[in-house]
Amino acid sequence: MLRASSEAIRSEVDLARLEVGAEVENGELLVRYAESAARGDSDLDKVREELASRVGQLGVIEAAATVSAFEGLNRIADATGIQLDAGLADESADFRSTLGLDAYSGASSTDSQGTPGRAGNVMEIFS
Amino acid sequence: MTLTNAEAALELDESLAATHEQVWQRLGNCGTWWTGRERVAAISEARQALICSLCSERSEALSPVMVSGEHDSISNLPPAAIDFVHRLTTDPGRLSEKWASQVIESITEEAYVELATVISTQYVIDSFARCLGLPLRDLPKAGDGMPNRIRPDGVGDVGAWVSQTIDKSLANVSRAASLVPDTEILWREIVQSHYSRGPQFADLVWDRGLTRPQVELVASTVSALNECFY
Repeated sequence: MLRASSEAIRSEVDLARLEVGAEVENGELLVRYAESAARGDSDLDKVREELASRVGQLGVIEAAATVSAFEGLNRIADATGIQLDAGLADESADFRSTLGLDAYSGASSTDSQGTPGRAGNVMEIFS
Repeated sequence: MTLTNAEAALELDESLAATHEQVWQRLGNCGTWWTGRERVAAISEARQALICSLCSERSEALSPVMVSGEHDSISNLPPAAIDFVHRLTTDPGRLSEKWASQVIESITEEAYVELATVISTQYVIDSFARCLGLPLRDLPKAGDGMPNRIRPDGVGDVGAWVSQTIDKSLANVSRAASLVPDTEILWREIVQSHYSRGPQFADLVWDRGLTRPQVELVASTVSALNECFY
């Protein structure tokens, strides 16, 4: 979704540089906030203040809503052992290996590792 | 951002605040497989997991099965349910199918999915508060009633650890809790309000507090931290 949505606004994204923001606007700070929030780090208040100064209060609310949504989504996916949808397996095959995602415990739930290939419309995978 | 500012900003999103309030209270209602009292106990247990010594030791270990012991439990839920709630809360990326099968054998498949859905929904609401430095909500009031234990029609093995609706028109993650439709509704409402927002999900360009690539970057970061393959 990160790659597809970046392409939609004709923006370059570097998935191999996820830890430093992947070239997304204010990406490095957003990653720091997500990490601090998810881990409950002691610098969370400070990072949140810094983020607010860059993206505004509504941006912080959006970031918090996203962190918490994916904390839940990750848990329900991991608890139920759902497989990666076929289209999603194909769409992500080229970078899963590079990023080490295939080594995650949950990878064993998916039968097919997919064939690298971009979907014409990635949203159709979820419809 | 101070606590006051966070609360003030939240007031700008009345819809999100209203969804939190009503979903939170409904989490305490009697479910299809667990009573209201048991569901509230599970929510309380999930918060306890964050300060559980065993969970802390396990999260540091190479494998969670290398550390045995008892959880710092505060409820009378069955031991398998307590272990499930603690591990789902503190170490979700290292759950295994073998372990899940043992829990399911002990508490039933439907009860397993309902508990997973309650805890995942609760985690979203609690995590949101922690993200903004807001206090956690008081526990919801436990509703009366007895679970009817009715398994829905149209569910079966679609390759996950648990049964799901066999209607493949939805993505797998959208069907994860379909074995417990009455609780799944709460899960859907909270995810819709936080992230997908109905038809907006199909648009790759969003007009929100953050751009869609920014939102997806945050999502990817959290999923990587949790080592979530999906």
